[in-house]
Amino acid sequence: MIKTENLTKEYNGNKAVDSLNLEIAEGDIFGFLGPNGAGKSTTILMLVGLIEPTEGKCFINDIEVARNPLRVKEIIGYLPENVGFYPNMTAEQNLDYFARFYAMMDARQRKKRIEELLELVQLDGVSQKVGGYSRGMMQRLGLAQALLNDPAVLFLDEPTANLDPEGVFQYRKLIKQLSDEGKTIFVSSHILSEVSKVCKTIGIISKGRLIARGTLEELKTELSSVGVENMRIIVETIEPMPEITHGDIINAEYDETMRKVVIEARSDIRDYISSGLLEKGIRIREMRMEEPTLEDVFISVYRR
Amino acid sequence: MEAKGLFNVARKEFIDHLTSRKFIIILGLFLIVSSIAVYQGVGDYNRELTQYKEQISQTKEVPVSWMPQKPSILLVFQRMSWQITMLGGILAIAMGFDLITREKESRSLKSLLSHPVFRDEVINGKALGGILALVFAAGIAIVISLAMLLLFSIVPTMDEFTRIIIFGTVTVLFLITYFAVALMMSTVSRDSGSSLIYALIILFALSFFMPTFANVVETSVVGEPPEFPGMHYVHIRSVNADKNESEAIISPPVTPVSEEEMKRYEEESNAYWEKRRAIHDAISVVVPNENFQAVTQVVLNPHFERFQYGVQYGEPPDAGEEKSLSEALGIVWKNILALVIFPLVFFAVAYVKFMRMDIR
Repeated sequence: MIKTENLTKEYNGNKAVDSLNLEIAEGDIFGFLGPNGAGKSTTILMLVGLIEPTEGKCFINDIEVARNPLRVKEIIGYLPENVGFYPNMTAEQNLDYFARFYAMMDARQRKKRIEELLELVQLDGVSQKVGGYSRGMMQRLGLAQALLNDPAVLFLDEPTANLDPEGVFQYRKLIKQLSDEGKTIFVSSHILSEVSKVCKTIGIISKGRLIARGTLEELKTELSSVGVENMRIIVETIEPMPEITHGDIINAEYDETMRKVVIEARSDIRDYISSGLLEKGIRIREMRMEEPTLEDVFISVYRR
Repeated sequence: MEAKGLFNVARKEFIDHLTSRKFIIILGLFLIVSSIAVYQGVGDYNRELTQYKEQISQTKEVPVSWMPQKPSILLVFQRMSWQITMLGGILAIAMGFDLITREKESRSLKSLLSHPVFRDEVINGKALGGILALVFAAGIAIVISLAMLLLFSIVPTMDEFTRIIIFGTVTVLFLITYFAVALMMSTVSRDSGSSLIYALIILFALSFFMPTFANVVETSVVGEPPEFPGMHYVHIRSVNADKNESEAIISPPVTPVSEEEMKRYEEESNAYWEKRRAIHDAISVVVPNENFQAVTQVVLNPHFERFQYGVQYGEPPDAGEEKSLSEALGIVWKNILALVIFPLVFFAVAYVKFMRMDIR
């Protein structure tokens, strides 16, 4: 459905996107994660035909975007980051203006579709001009304009930015509904929690290059082996414990009673700890290793 | 190129212009000033008509070798053309200076271009919508003027009516020129404020700087005009030094002027002014205001005689033979061509810049 081949975009000799190879299946909700300036928006702009790649190609439904931008725009929807509208027009007028560019919509169809969408994003009955909208309302209107042509592929750039919690909840519900309808959804964000809540697969981009790709669980496993080097082991005992010594321990923080310690270590030394305490007759109440969160993994990867 | 997108953009832009506050205010001002000009022009026309009738009745009593000219209602539009030169330029700039920058500032351009519309349809649609609004503005001004004429029971002849229509067309070309300047500035500028300032700088440079520049170039190339033979000298004599008072004494002709000297002077003078006019024309052809004035003067004055810097020795400037419309247009074809080429050049720059613009 969405495919890129060595997609590259250079600005003044700097590669904003560097040989990106990506394939996203039909019906997938793909989360495109990366820090600010990683090349997410530039990739989307090439995929929606707003900028041309310096090298490489991208395809939507096997249509090459750079060669047939209009054919691609007929089947996609795009919510830009910080979406903008004509402030002197109402939401309905803005949507009607954009809808007129689609060949398949006559006046009656446009009116019906616009009414449906405004209801969907809860902007029906709002008669004020868009210039008076809050950022959240603009974002919701942006989602409506992206859905005008009932697109097969939807590109959403930072879709939850500016939305209030209720708006975010409605957005997630809508994405699930659209996915159930068989639409392919490409969500770009730098907020991991947002992507992990709605996306089926995730790609991580850093400095213009795709550094990881897979489901949430696959990524966690893949990245934790390379991304986070240190681990945290928490030990609680019934009796006060002596200080634990091991070559891999980087740091250990004991509480005042010496019954709890948080150890930061280079390797999993839980066996060494348990046998050492057992030898000294100290009963262990709890011992666990805190797995790195996906957030920790990503931060670690981004910083590399 | 798909026409659907072009007309959709043009339609929206046309409606935007007609409903925008700045357009309504400037158009209103423009129409008020034009109406005042027409009203004053009607007064002038009626006065000249009365004089004409008196002269005609006098010629019946005392035969004369010349016939007085019947005044034309086109006089009314000559006054109007002066108002258009300044206010029209401002109206056109007000309409175009933020067409692209505003879209960038409101971030609507990215939303617009994510729908199936070519970039050239967007820029061409914006130009078309603006031009239609300018045609509407000029059309209203002409219709109001004609209505006022009819109100004063003045009915134009077919020739006059045709000339008025041509005046309206040239007015639109003139307005389009400054609209194109503003559109270009809107495309190349970072924000609307800068775009407005640059467009106004061009307007004022073309309106005030270029005529002065032309004058300086003429003088530096051809020098001062030849001296009139047998010139009178003027002596300034102090009569009361305490009060700093003086008087002028005009001497009798220094030398008697022969016919030969006078003929030589006329030849030199004609050659001088011809050369000077050629330089002036070459420079002023790049000034839309000068082109507009040149065309309207010829089209709206059937008795127009090309005179030198407003000085037609011994004759008033409109004392020439009556010129047909085709003859009149033949005189100013270069100016008309310039009024067509100018906006095209500015549109071309705006087009190329917009097509290459990085949408981020």
